[in-house]
Amino acid sequence: MNEINYLLAVMLVMTVSTYITRLTPFLLFGKGQESALLNYISKSTPPMVMTILVIYMLKEVEYLTFEIVYTFIALLVTTGLHIYKRNALLSIVSGTIVYMFFVQT
Amino acid sequence: MIRSALKISLPILFGFVPLGIAFGLLFQELGYPWYFASLMGIFVYAGAAQFMAIGLLSSGIGLLEIAISTFFLNSRHMFYGLAFLESFGNWNLRKLYLIFGLTDETYALMTTIKVPKNFTKERYYFFITLFAQIYWVLGCTIGALTANALSFNTNGMEFAATALFVVLLIEQWIKVKRLLPFIIAFIASFIALFFFIKHMLLVAIILSIGSIVLLRVIKTKSNE
Repeated sequence: MNEINYLLAVMLVMTVSTYITRLTPFLLFGKGQESALLNYISKSTPPMVMTILVIYMLKEVEYLTFEIVYTFIALLVTTGLHIYKRNALLSIVSGTIVYMFFVQT
Repeated sequence: MIRSALKISLPILFGFVPLGIAFGLLFQELGYPWYFASLMGIFVYAGAAQFMAIGLLSSGIGLLEIAISTFFLNSRHMFYGLAFLESFGNWNLRKLYLIFGLTDETYALMTTIKVPKNFTKERYYFFITLFAQIYWVLGCTIGALTANALSFNTNGMEFAATALFVVLLIEQWIKVKRLLPFIIAFIASFIALFFFIKHMLLVAIILSIGSIVLLRVIKTKSNE
């Protein structure tokens, strides 16, 4: 198999594989089939997923180094600004600029 | 509606473009023509899986292995659809695309925002999903095209994705106002980190959902 064909085959396989994971719940639980339990699960999942994603993003931070200090400062900027102004763009951009400043200096 | 969806999707722009650029830059090291980075973003459209693909492609691994590892890497997405069984509307091309575009970021954003009253949910979601993918493909393409010519120092830009999830976490807190899901997810995350670091996301999600279901069943039992 030449290289481009191999890449195309990989792309196809990955596309199908990814799509199956996203499609599954819609195939398993049709519209109008919602039970009280399923409803409860789908309502509680977003706050849990968000908590998990934040911890996941931070799991590579080396503790006991300067990295943890500036990561904390950047998180504080994002959190503080967001509680104060509730402007998602402003909170994200400001925190990221602070973080980039520390990483690059 | 398009303007409102564009505005509300902008936080994803700041998460996706830097991450896409990072992908494009790395992908170019494999030596394929630049537009394959864009094609990956258009068809595969899964951040973590695309990064994994770079490693797998360079090792020339078999297709079956790629199918299985992609499936497991993305299997957390199986839980994401649960939130949209109703609101993605009837089966049509739009719904198929909404499902295709259900990434961490779109899931996070769409479960957090309130769709303005005068807009149809599925149409509003469609534009958000479309814009998000455009940002991603844009990032992948820019990264691949500038692989050899990038002069702007993007170090640290990846923090934008973290900041996006932090913002959405705060928004979830304002919306939900119940401590329990957050605490459960927090504990589950650390258990997953300590014991299953390679599959942390999936294990943490399964543990969390398992725990709230268990708590719920116990509660209904004790009420009977």
